[in-house]
Amino acid sequence: MTTAQRLRITGGAVYDPANGIAGVVQDVCIEDGKVVTGLPVGAPRLDASGMIVMPGGVDIHSHIAGSSVNHGRRLQPEEHAVDPVPAPRLDGPDGGGGGPARSGTGGTIPSTFATGYRYAGLGYTTVMEAAVAPLFARHAHAELDDTPIIDAGLFALLGNDEYLFRQIAAGERARARNYAAWVLRAAGAYAIKVVNPGGVELWKRGAPPRNVTGLDDPVGSTAVTPRRILETLTDAGNELGLPHPVHIHCNALGQPGNAATTLETMRTLAGRRAHFTHLQFHSYGGGRGKGWQSGAKDVIEYVNAHPEVSVDVGQVMFGPATTLTADAPVEHLLHASSGRKWVNVDIELETGCGIVPYAYKEKAALAALRWAVGLELFLLATDPWRVVLSTDHPNGGSFLSYPELIRLLMDRAYRDEQIKRVNAKLLKGSALADGLAREYTLNEIAIVTRAGPARLLGLTEKGHLGPGADADVTIYATGGDEATMFATPRYVLKGGTLVVEEGQLRRAPAGRRLAVRPAYDDAVLRDLKRYFDLHASVSFENYPCAGSA
Amino acid sequence: MSAEQVVEHVTCLGCGCACDDIAPLVRQNRIVEARNACPLGRAWFGDGTVPQEARVGAHTVSLEAALTHAATILTQARRPLVYLAAELSCETQRAAVGIADRLRAVLDSATSEIAAAVLAAQRRGRAAATLGELRQRADLVVFWGVDPAERYPRYTSRYAVGPGGLQTPSRTVVAVDVGDHRGPGDAEARVIISADVEVGALGVMRAIARGHAPPEVPALRPAIELARRMMQARYVALVHDAEPDGTPADPDRAEGLIALAQALNGPTRCALSTLRAGGNRSGADAVVTWQTGFPCAVDFSRGYPSYRPHDGAAALVARREIDAMLLIGSPGSVPEPVARGLASVPTVAIGPYASAAAFEPAVAVDTGVAGIHEGGMAFRMDDVPLPLRPSVAGPPAAAVVVRDLATRLVSP
Repeated sequence: MTTAQRLRITGGAVYDPANGIAGVVQDVCIEDGKVVTGLPVGAPRLDASGMIVMPGGVDIHSHIAGSSVNHGRRLQPEEHAVDPVPAPRLDGPDGGGGGPARSGTGGTIPSTFATGYRYAGLGYTTVMEAAVAPLFARHAHAELDDTPIIDAGLFALLGNDEYLFRQIAAGERARARNYAAWVLRAAGAYAIKVVNPGGVELWKRGAPPRNVTGLDDPVGSTAVTPRRILETLTDAGNELGLPHPVHIHCNALGQPGNAATTLETMRTLAGRRAHFTHLQFHSYGGGRGKGWQSGAKDVIEYVNAHPEVSVDVGQVMFGPATTLTADAPVEHLLHASSGRKWVNVDIELETGCGIVPYAYKEKAALAALRWAVGLELFLLATDPWRVVLSTDHPNGGSFLSYPELIRLLMDRAYRDEQIKRVNAKLLKGSALADGLAREYTLNEIAIVTRAGPARLLGLTEKGHLGPGADADVTIYATGGDEATMFATPRYVLKGGTLVVEEGQLRRAPAGRRLAVRPAYDDAVLRDLKRYFDLHASVSFENYPCAGSA
Repeated sequence: MSAEQVVEHVTCLGCGCACDDIAPLVRQNRIVEARNACPLGRAWFGDGTVPQEARVGAHTVSLEAALTHAATILTQARRPLVYLAAELSCETQRAAVGIADRLRAVLDSATSEIAAAVLAAQRRGRAAATLGELRQRADLVVFWGVDPAERYPRYTSRYAVGPGGLQTPSRTVVAVDVGDHRGPGDAEARVIISADVEVGALGVMRAIARGHAPPEVPALRPAIELARRMMQARYVALVHDAEPDGTPADPDRAEGLIALAQALNGPTRCALSTLRAGGNRSGADAVVTWQTGFPCAVDFSRGYPSYRPHDGAAALVARREIDAMLLIGSPGSVPEPVARGLASVPTVAIGPYASAAAFEPAVAVDTGVAGIHEGGMAFRMDDVPLPLRPSVAGPPAAAVVVRDLATRLVSP
């Protein structure tokens, strides 16, 4: 079997929820990298009898490339030393590197080539890098150029941006929108990302409490508050007609009682399309001095009732992780409480960066609570199209733990066994401890891992197998448990190229970059140029990535 | 095309400041004047002329012939070393790491020259900021045993001291003299710490920042007072020079500075600014990290990257373990312990001034200088990526030559 311009996948049970197909045995026809309605009888065939056929996986939120990710990589030689990745034996050149297959190292933050190989080996073919400071976008693109196979986009951090704050303070709504559009183009980005709006700026200012404590805290000017930042950027994203709405990491990540903040944020934006990311880290009850408990039920019930809201879960999985975020004040707290090594980088005029390597242990009460909250969100969600599977890689755990997570969702007996192993101290009153019977079906898994995220990202040619779709296809052999099945796809096609064959990575074509190019009013440029000349440490002309703005 | 032309917004790699406001005036493919550049930058740009040769031994040959011979040397080597010297774009560095991977070679770079600082940061992490952030926030700038005027001439005027910051109506500069390593002469305050108590002083300062009572040690009194002053500031920029300067520094100094900067983020905010030399040295660190997981001293001999931070190029060269070398970048930037090995094994040199190297390469291919003749990307000392804008035409681009060489290597 070689790379074929044409291929007919026959005999497999197809799960293509976007087209209403759930386990029907039918052919999938591929021509020139796209799914087509039919092929001549003599076209090459791939026998998928007895197997499961799905679109390639789509990761809506991951951290795989760029300056912060690379700081995290450099910080952990110990995890790379114990997870070597020899070069795979490819049938041709690595299209990412342009030469032979490349070796690398793994761990929670693999080297770039290993990242591409491992995502593809997992059956994922599209990944969003969820947090890039526009100042560092050029670096992120260079890393993605060295990350083969997967199509990738990046989200531009805007929630603590000095120029944006000035427009909010001045009531310059249109200019804020034009600026957002310009930044997206300058950074070659796909979506607007908000991280702890206002909180990172207060961390950088240094005066206590070094973070925001509520949605109406002033950030410099009383006119600039988390609420105003959220409203401004959410409206900007929707008015620009971006394929993916603003991608929000709420205030108060990881804190007890933060479900109230999350709900207030959602209510503030009620009626507006918005995506709330790693919701697990934002769904805790209790409060300072009152301890911890799950707040998942209240949060997911709001999501269930509001079709304009979408989320990804950010599940915590037991094992090693690297917490890595633009939410720098959170990482300082984690460093102070855990004593673990810590990177902080304040990034001029835009955002911050904090990194602490971490491990979630079953016997640790708080880790067990986070794990349970994530599962509750999944199991209490009523619309899988709006609740995406993620671990906020590598924050909640590696993307390599997705198969284990899928098993937890699909197999109640297995899940109940795992619940018995964890520290239950903080699980009192949690829906999970009370027993949730739900088991995800294969069709629902296909929704939360590909069809749903593709739809939420506005990627019309991803996440489905209808005519015109990109021929990104993952084929699983049945027989073992769900974790084994999803960890080791038998075949993976990317853009029609057979990248995994008989469970082995055989080809590594270059991935494509996904980016938006929203229109903006040129009038913003004069003001921006003046702002850069006064305050920035790089020239205005050198800020945009080549060929983007 | 006019006879005279100004190229705007050019990034200078004369030092790690990577000032991107240089405007070279070009006449007949010569740089007449590097406008806005400091003396160090003007020297780095020169007039833009570089040798343009391909040689095998003493003979001038075609590029094709040189690369064919180079490929033979490298594929026949049992224990090759690929060394990333200065003056390369990230694009060239990326292709070069690919060659090391393919040859199962040892890969090293100038990053190993600051191994003590790299290892300290891997043990502890770091509290840092981009240079523009220091400009916006720092109300207290402490130069620890360094006067940036010498090796980083525009550091103060562009970033840490000169320009007013959004959050800093005023700022104070403190010079810390550590033995012969002096802070800036025009600082508002001066603290003198003898070299033999430096690391101890950093430890005591850290303890104070963490809330401990200071010891009654007269020799440490200046350091104790400085620690108190830092704690009273709103945002401290602590500046040190990571580059070697001939006088051996205590290997524990870097860790002491990192730990102090981190601890100061309890009572106040603090960022450690690490001065790095130019030629996109920081880029080599970043590229090697993203492709291998380690910043330098990577051994591919097992078929995957292994980290040998205590056994990098200099050590292998000293042990005569290397039997061929691929030097990519400017030969003049290679540190002495590694340069010694260049003369003793067959060396393929690809980079600016390769044909003018002090040793005799088996193969030499001149390329342009990244940022003068070649475009691409380079990193400022604080890891901010910047575009390179060529001002004049030159020899074949290093990225093109290195990629060409890569295609000629047969897997061992």
